[in-house]
Amino acid sequence: MTGRRPSSPVSRRTVLRGAAAGAAVLGFPLPLRAQAPVIKIGAVHPVTGPLAEPGQACRLGATMAVEAVNAAGGIKAMGGAKLELIVGDTQTKPDVGRTEAERVINQGAQILMGSFDSGSTAAMVPVAQQRRVPFLVDIAAADPITANVAKAVKEGQQKVQYVYRNFPTGSSFGARAVRYFTEIFAESGVAPKRVVLMYCNDLFGQNAAKGFQAGYAAAKPAWEIVDVIPWPEPPQDLSTEVSRAKAARPDIIAPITRPASAQLLLPELRKQRVEVMGIVGPGSPGLYEAGQLAVLKDDLEYVMSAVPWANFKNPRTQKVAEDYFKRSGGKTFDTNSGYSYDGIFVIADALERAKSADADTVADAIKKTHYTAGLMQYAGPVIFNELGDNPNAVTTMIQILGQKPVAVWPKEAAVQKLVFPRPKR
Amino acid sequence: MDLTLVGQGLLSGVLFGGVYSLMAVGLTLIFGVMRVVNFAHGDMMVWGMYLAWMLATRAGIDPYVGFPVCAAVLFTLGWAVQRGLVHRIVDAPHEMQILLMLGVALVLENAALVAFGPDPQRVRSPLTASTLWLGPLFVDVGRLVTFGVALALTGALWVFLGHTDLGRRIRAASDNPYGALVIGTDVGRVYAIAFGIGAACVGAAGALVSPILPFQPAGGLSLSVASFNIVIIGGMGSLLGAFVGGLLVSVAESLGAVFLAPSMKELVSFSLLIVILLLRPAGLFGRRAA
Repeated sequence: MTGRRPSSPVSRRTVLRGAAAGAAVLGFPLPLRAQAPVIKIGAVHPVTGPLAEPGQACRLGATMAVEAVNAAGGIKAMGGAKLELIVGDTQTKPDVGRTEAERVINQGAQILMGSFDSGSTAAMVPVAQQRRVPFLVDIAAADPITANVAKAVKEGQQKVQYVYRNFPTGSSFGARAVRYFTEIFAESGVAPKRVVLMYCNDLFGQNAAKGFQAGYAAAKPAWEIVDVIPWPEPPQDLSTEVSRAKAARPDIIAPITRPASAQLLLPELRKQRVEVMGIVGPGSPGLYEAGQLAVLKDDLEYVMSAVPWANFKNPRTQKVAEDYFKRSGGKTFDTNSGYSYDGIFVIADALERAKSADADTVADAIKKTHYTAGLMQYAGPVIFNELGDNPNAVTTMIQILGQKPVAVWPKEAAVQKLVFPRPKR
Repeated sequence: MDLTLVGQGLLSGVLFGGVYSLMAVGLTLIFGVMRVVNFAHGDMMVWGMYLAWMLATRAGIDPYVGFPVCAAVLFTLGWAVQRGLVHRIVDAPHEMQILLMLGVALVLENAALVAFGPDPQRVRSPLTASTLWLGPLFVDVGRLVTFGVALALTGALWVFLGHTDLGRRIRAASDNPYGALVIGTDVGRVYAIAFGIGAACVGAAGALVSPILPFQPAGGLSLSVASFNIVIIGGMGSLLGAFVGGLLVSVAESLGAVFLAPSMKELVSFSLLIVILLLRPAGLFGRRAA
């Protein structure tokens, strides 16, 4: 039977027509149902490469915050618009940070967030300014990141500042660390005199060390920085650096580390029997994370560090931290995950007020932010000054006590009493 | 200048040089035999470190005992990489070889990232916790042992290449592959063994330094670069050159950290590289390429 069946009531055309009509019935209502718009946020962090650990913490923090915003009904002022993350990976390389920023924007990102390390963040800034995409820096401390843009806008080279930062700047890190050092030394009553500053010689480390030295020069405290020892990052060996620090007969070692260099530095200090009253960091990664504690164990006990820290007195922080602990496989909700989490909420808050995703309107709304529900330890509401920085983003002195990082200074943030000088081993 | 500090710098430099030497020996062997530059060298070392870490955390085996296991696993990996991949491009131009080996490096690095996560790790061994004191100078026992083992392994490799039948075949295939083929050597097999031994060296090096150096998946590149620097200074393909080069670079970096700012110490080792290339383009112990 190969002949046609002329009697068949259904021709090919009828079928096609029916299919088209069906598609129209099924398909057209989709756009007509007025789906809430989606706002795409490009979240670029170092998810691979040497800074993969904090980078992945940032990504998880941002993801959880987006889920929380969407679960609470999205951006209400925009008809319940949902947030969507387009994630990027800097691979811990500034050049890749730049191309990733370009890529997420090409894929539709209307707002940028990132990127943990100052080098990559600085490389993303021109992209945000050129492409007119609001960029909230969730973490990155080097001062010029926002200051250069503010200067260009002030001098009329650029019209609008799209780059804002909700994180302490390198110089404020330094000034505050000097203040905490002085207060803690005074409180302890043992008056340490000789401080040796050791730091990783990358953009972050240089900026942080410079900030600490500038804070020291401005405050003229009763203690003295007797030697400054930078090392190339990542280092393969720090034994000579530690010998040099020991030769300076320090009372305090002030290290600015990265996770890997902290794993070299602290055991080396113990092995070479550098007897100090304390190891007190002006603020850097590597001295408090769960992974570092698992590896360094006793070498981290009593180590202090002035870092941006979550406000664990806030019940909401505790709840998010519990959730984060489960989803990260047992990690602490800390500086990195916390500031990325707050970053998304600051963006959501700005969108609520902007009532639109238009770049200039959003940038203006971010500039006028007055956000009080952050989970981190702030000195006041999240606001942005003339440079685009949040002056209320501050550090807290934490200490490893019983193998857990806890806030110990200033007193209003302290969860436990600090132990200083450290007990002799 | 504080004499104790200089002495300590010298001592630390020599001991850490053992680590550098062992790293470089594997690379130089592979290059010497096949003229293939193994860009995955550092990543193989990182895998050696992770294997040692797994042995230590899962089975409680100290890296100083378990390093032959890591070497054996890496030997197999090296063998497989040679047979499956490098074998096809031994005669290809250098840029082809470099692309392939960079590809292998990327796969190894990201496989480690997937398998072990991004956190830096370090193996705890009772040996590395102990120190000896010679007056004001201290000796890190872990490094002393690593130095000793590196010396022994390089010596063993020397004897193997010089005085065993297989070693002679490897050298024959390296000197003149065609001639070796004519006298009945299975050159393909010899290449695979040589690549395996090179990988085993770096696997052992990785295991031995795992208690000394923290490691993470992304650490391969800087280890590769350090190894290349040493091998070029010592002379590409020269075993003795790799060993002496390792000591030289380490001591130079250590003393550089004493006399200059420590952040400049890599400047010292790479300046050394430039000086050597200017004065002896083939490296300290290298033969001039034909």
